[in-house]
Amino acid sequence: MSEDDETRGITRRSFLTGTGITVAAAGILKTTEALAESVKGGAAVGPGAVPVSLKVNGSVHQLSLEPSTTLADALRFSIGLTGTKVVCDRGSCSACTVHLDGTPVCSCMTLAVDVGARAVTTIEGLARGDKLTPIQEQFIANDAMQCGFCTPGMVMSCAALLARNNKPSLDEVKTAVSGNLCRCGTYPKVFAAAMAASGQKLPRGSDVVTHAAELHFESKAERPADEPPPWPVNSKLKIVGKSHPRLDGRLKVTGKARYTADVRLPGMLFARRVVSPHPHARVKSIDLSAAERLPGVKAVMIVGRGEGAKLRNPPKVADKFPLVLYAGQAVAAVAATSQSIADEAARLVKVEYERLPFVVELDDARRDGAPLVYPGAVDMGGSAGGGGAQKGLAQKGNVRGPSKRDKGDVDAGLKAAELSVDGEFKTQVQTHSALETHGVVADWREDGLTVYASSQGTTSVRDEFATVFDLPKSKVRIITEFMGGGFGAKFGAGSFGILAAQLSKKAGAPVRLMLDRKEEHLCVGNRPSTVQTVKIGAKKDGSLTGIVVTSWGNSGIATGGGVGWMGTSLYACDNTRSEQYDVFTHTGAAAAFRAPGQPQGAFALEQLMDELAEKIGMDPLALRDKLDAGPGVPGPGGNDEATRAARKAERQIGAERFGWSKRRPAGADGGPKKRGIGMAQSMWGRFVDLDASCEVRLHRDGSIEIMSSVQDIGTGTRTALAMVVAEELGVRVEDVAVKIGDTQYPAGPSSGGSKTLLGITAPARVAAWRIKEQLYKAVGEQARSMPLKKAAAKMTTEHLSAQASRSPDYGGDPHGGYGGVQFAEVVVDVETGVVKVERMVAVHDCGRVLNPLAVQSQINGGILHGISYALYEERHMDRATGRMVNANLDQYKIAGAKETPEIEVVLIDQYIGRNATDIHGIGEPANIPTAAAIANAVYNAIGVRVRELPMNPPALLAALGKVNRVKEAKR
Amino acid sequence: MKSFEWTNAASLDEAIAQLGTGVMVKAGGVDLLDRLKEGLESPRRLVNLRGIGGLDNIRSSTGDDGDLVLGPLTTLAAIEAHAGVRKRFGALAEACAHAATPQIRNMATIGGNLVQRPRCWYFRSADFNCRKKGGEVCFALEGENQYHAIVANKVCAIVHPSSVSTALVAYGATVKLKGKAGERVVPLEQFFVLPDKDPRRENQLGADELITEVRLPAPAKGTGAAYHKQTEKESFDWPLADVAVVLELDGRTCKRASIILGAAAPVPWRAKSSEAILGGRAVDEHAAEAAANAAVQGATPLAKNAYKLPIVRAIVRRTILAAAGGAA
Ligand SMILES: Cc1cc2nc3c(=O)[nH]c(=O)nc-3n(C[C@H](O)[C@H](O)[C@H](O)COP(=O)(O)OP(=O)(O)OC[C@H]3O[C@@H](n4cnc5c(N)ncnc54)[C@H](O)[C@@H]3O)c2cc1C
Ligand code: FES
Ligand code: FES
Repeated sequence: MSEDDETRGITRRSFLTGTGITVAAAGILKTTEALAESVKGGAAVGPGAVPVSLKVNGSVHQLSLEPSTTLADALRFSIGLTGTKVVCDRGSCSACTVHLDGTPVCSCMTLAVDVGARAVTTIEGLARGDKLTPIQEQFIANDAMQCGFCTPGMVMSCAALLARNNKPSLDEVKTAVSGNLCRCGTYPKVFAAAMAASGQKLPRGSDVVTHAAELHFESKAERPADEPPPWPVNSKLKIVGKSHPRLDGRLKVTGKARYTADVRLPGMLFARRVVSPHPHARVKSIDLSAAERLPGVKAVMIVGRGEGAKLRNPPKVADKFPLVLYAGQAVAAVAATSQSIADEAARLVKVEYERLPFVVELDDARRDGAPLVYPGAVDMGGSAGGGGAQKGLAQKGNVRGPSKRDKGDVDAGLKAAELSVDGEFKTQVQTHSALETHGVVADWREDGLTVYASSQGTTSVRDEFATVFDLPKSKVRIITEFMGGGFGAKFGAGSFGILAAQLSKKAGAPVRLMLDRKEEHLCVGNRPSTVQTVKIGAKKDGSLTGIVVTSWGNSGIATGGGVGWMGTSLYACDNTRSEQYDVFTHTGAAAAFRAPGQPQGAFALEQLMDELAEKIGMDPLALRDKLDAGPGVPGPGGNDEATRAARKAERQIGAERFGWSKRRPAGADGGPKKRGIGMAQSMWGRFVDLDASCEVRLHRDGSIEIMSSVQDIGTGTRTALAMVVAEELGVRVEDVAVKIGDTQYPAGPSSGGSKTLLGITAPARVAAWRIKEQLYKAVGEQARSMPLKKAAAKMTTEHLSAQASRSPDYGGDPHGGYGGVQFAEVVVDVETGVVKVERMVAVHDCGRVLNPLAVQSQINGGILHGISYALYEERHMDRATGRMVNANLDQYKIAGAKETPEIEVVLIDQYIGRNATDIHGIGEPANIPTAAAIANAVYNAIGVRVRELPMNPPALLAALGKVNRVKEAKR
Repeated sequence: MKSFEWTNAASLDEAIAQLGTGVMVKAGGVDLLDRLKEGLESPRRLVNLRGIGGLDNIRSSTGDDGDLVLGPLTTLAAIEAHAGVRKRFGALAEACAHAATPQIRNMATIGGNLVQRPRCWYFRSADFNCRKKGGEVCFALEGENQYHAIVANKVCAIVHPSSVSTALVAYGATVKLKGKAGERVVPLEQFFVLPDKDPRRENQLGADELITEVRLPAPAKGTGAAYHKQTEKESFDWPLADVAVVLELDGRTCKRASIILGAAAPVPWRAKSSEAILGGRAVDEHAAEAAANAAVQGATPLAKNAYKLPIVRAIVRRTILAAAGGAA
């Protein structure tokens, strides 16, 4: 180190003083002086637009920008390079990563005026023409993407690493992407891609293991005459069952995939909502005048519709404005020519509130005398999907229910028990935190309403818009080309969507309304927090005599905060009782979230099963072998004979691969860092969506299209449909053009409940098969032995078209379900209370495996959601003001690259012959057992049960008796 | 973000000349933009320091073994990567390497890092008019205080956000401040101030002053140092607690100990009793444990952050041992 040891700055200064270098800019030549202009010292510029030149991907752009414009916004909105994504807008997710002179930075925290002469490289500038860089190619090959919203940032982080280090270690890769958040859980594949791009392989655990077992449950039921005979097993097929990179991978790694947040229409306005900072308030007055006067504002409106549950006897409303029921509820909205003007206008709206008493925590809301969320009984089924919550339930105070399920005589069962285990378990609120916030671009025109929506159900969204605005469905069109994650919270139009349409109508222009990160946490759904007590009675041989589950869930202003149905139905027991209550609080509506209710239920049940096993001196797997056996329960719940057989095989395969036999007694390690292993099971239903239709077209030139309104939310629907059609027609996957995510096509299923592929692949195959039959009829039977293209050339019409809809499962119900077993290895530091998951083995079934690569991605994602839920995520509500204080992405903690364990995914093939493809989904089952498996591993490590989530240092240290946590209603 | 006037300062003096009401300087901009986006502040003018040349260097005052001198615009990434820093000021390199995200470290400057405002979620939200903003209450005292201070937390319970300063203070760093009236050098430890007097500020930087240099004295021979930041997540995360230990050793015997706790108090917090216990003693498990226990004696945890005490004890003990083990 010496006096003039400089690390940076040389390039810039020599650039400033240098002359003569010229750069080509879209045909115009610029000198470096022109570029340097915006960094020269001295004169002050702005406020108001100032000239800024940016050198982006080799081209110079002369822009006119407010000095407050971030580089991200300049790139996205002024230059139109929308590959760079904005997610947190605060430096805590790295989705907006660009390179400045090769160095990765957050463009959301960089001002465009401050870029100066530094060269900006965005995701669009990585590839040379059509030639992708190796890291982009490897992202595609390794399927290092799901929804793809984090992908540009991930690629940019990796590219910068590889540029300075051509053989990085796995640790260096993890560090390079340690600031990049991915809500879909693509980290393991990002690691694999970065290693592969530098000619290396991951040390272990990246390949998906397929075909670990083959289970056949051929249905004897007749299939309809207009459907093809079943496919043979995967090993006899060409495409189905073999990994295929996703078809839209290229668009995602080049930043060209267009998400709702990226949509720009001519004349498009930007909207912002005015939201209440108070959790319960009557709006006394709203003064829009200042906002209306602001130049650039095109429409301002007061929200006319209330939010919240439907009441049985709605009160006659005398109020002029809807009542505010949670902090974050919109009371007004504005649309303006730019987002910053809209934001400013929203601040100018003056609202006078009369604050009312409120309650935001579950325990507080259950107390007698707690401020009421609703003045009377709520009259709606479960909207959060967490089980229970039928219509017509009793309601006392904020507590509604119970939603009841009874079987046998539970009191007698418990009396007959020789021993029992029981406990109270608490789980926290988890927000969906999709990287693309909820939002729409609504375009209201005389001839109909078009809405670009970040949605996981184009059809359900359309139907809601049609109902709210009393429009015929034919006049509402929803488009979801790409969407950045939903996880259960994006099935509806949303109050924000309705507002955007109203603003568009009022302003006579398309309106973009994307929620900001804070609103995303507050307003559009979450997994409810729960308290549940579970008691299990058993005989000494392990057989169960009775199970009682009682739960309370914080469903906010919605319903459906249950804990699912696992507790009383996974294991054989004749006497069960489940009573689940919803508890209303003045917080945003709970919503369906990846297997609603089940992870909460599994967290309690699977821990108690392990306790029981320990009490009777049985291995936890042996106890499950005993209780999760037999003919099972027919019906859609997930426990028929086939599902039980699957879990049995999965337990055995998992135990072997994981090394279960090395399991030691609880708390065996000396020293502060204790290692433990545990496992837990999954249970999910095969829900068949009959509203799943598509059309296949064959053109005379042999080209093929499949069309459906079904959307691809990152699960790989696009690729799946192409694979199915290609298999049936004997063509290449790339030869099938997939047109989806648009309600102008036949109505497809929504993406939720692991039912998308279960719904849509069968009709896709049937339609493809029907096209062939039509073709042979049209051009003659001899065509059966011809290549498709040759036969198509003989067609007399330009194209043939066949539609198909999902037929009911052959033989009708029962539907059966999904199994899934996961094993976890953790290290617990008992001095700091930090738990680290080091390794997971996940063995799953999803019917006939269609695309192992994509299934693996989904399972990785489920596991990462589960780890994040188990250890890190938590919504912090300030009880004095009823506001969420960590509505961001640094203090709302989501698992990142360094929280990602080694994950081994093992798949079994299961053929049940109940529809044309036998292909099922996998999103839900992979998320259900993770937190429970980790909890069991934690117990094995430390010998102490942690009965609350998240299992973070405060919880661990309290469980270990190292702190006296002030006992206080936490949730 | 409200619009503002923008100017690129050509020199520090030019920047200082512009300072006044409604004028703010911008270095990396990471902290400033966060506050502006949240609407906590709306300056009339931003003075950009980033374009000023020569302020982003890392050097040794003499030869290879002098004081470490950091220009105020040096990025955390540059400090982390610098071979000389890694070799001679390992705890500082560690602190920089574990601050924020790689992207942020590429942008964040050392000057800005020291002057950044607290991350208390009440302070960072425009919805709460807390004591730091001139309001009447510290919402954390009775509210969500899981991540707040465990000592000196009666008036305002923030923890100082700079985890880098934990290491800097342990090394005895000084900052050079320059204002209209001239220059002064202040030990970093005194630069930071407790909320008792004026909860609205975290340091004694004058209204017309800038940090123009950060300096770390050359470590004495036989110095061992270590830093540990305990987080919930290993990918970027704010510390639950962090600690820097700098030991001047003679063999195993500690001649002088400097132990600073981060995320424990509104300022980097010197664990004086721990230092006293180590002074003149051989550094072994016993001594480390005794010193660690002393670190949190007298702490006044809030309703939800007592869990920090065992964490502080554990990391202080471990870091003392690491510092003793790594002595050069
Ligand atoms: C996701 C995330 C995680 C983070 N984690 C950590 C962490 O773990 N540890 C940690 O220490 N920090 C962390 N930070 C904070 C980050 O390090 C600081 O925001 C950054 O260092 C500020 O530096 P800057 O150059 O960007 O400052 P700026 O934002 O430019 O300035 C910050 C403040 O300092 C003033 N200022 C700047 N330079 C000077 C100067 N020379 N003299 C006087 N005043 C000046 C400015 O006026 C402003 O008020 C994190 C930030 C983010 C976004
Ligand atoms: S959007 Fe820039 S870091 Fe998150
Ligand atoms: S793929 Fe990373 S957020 Fe969806």
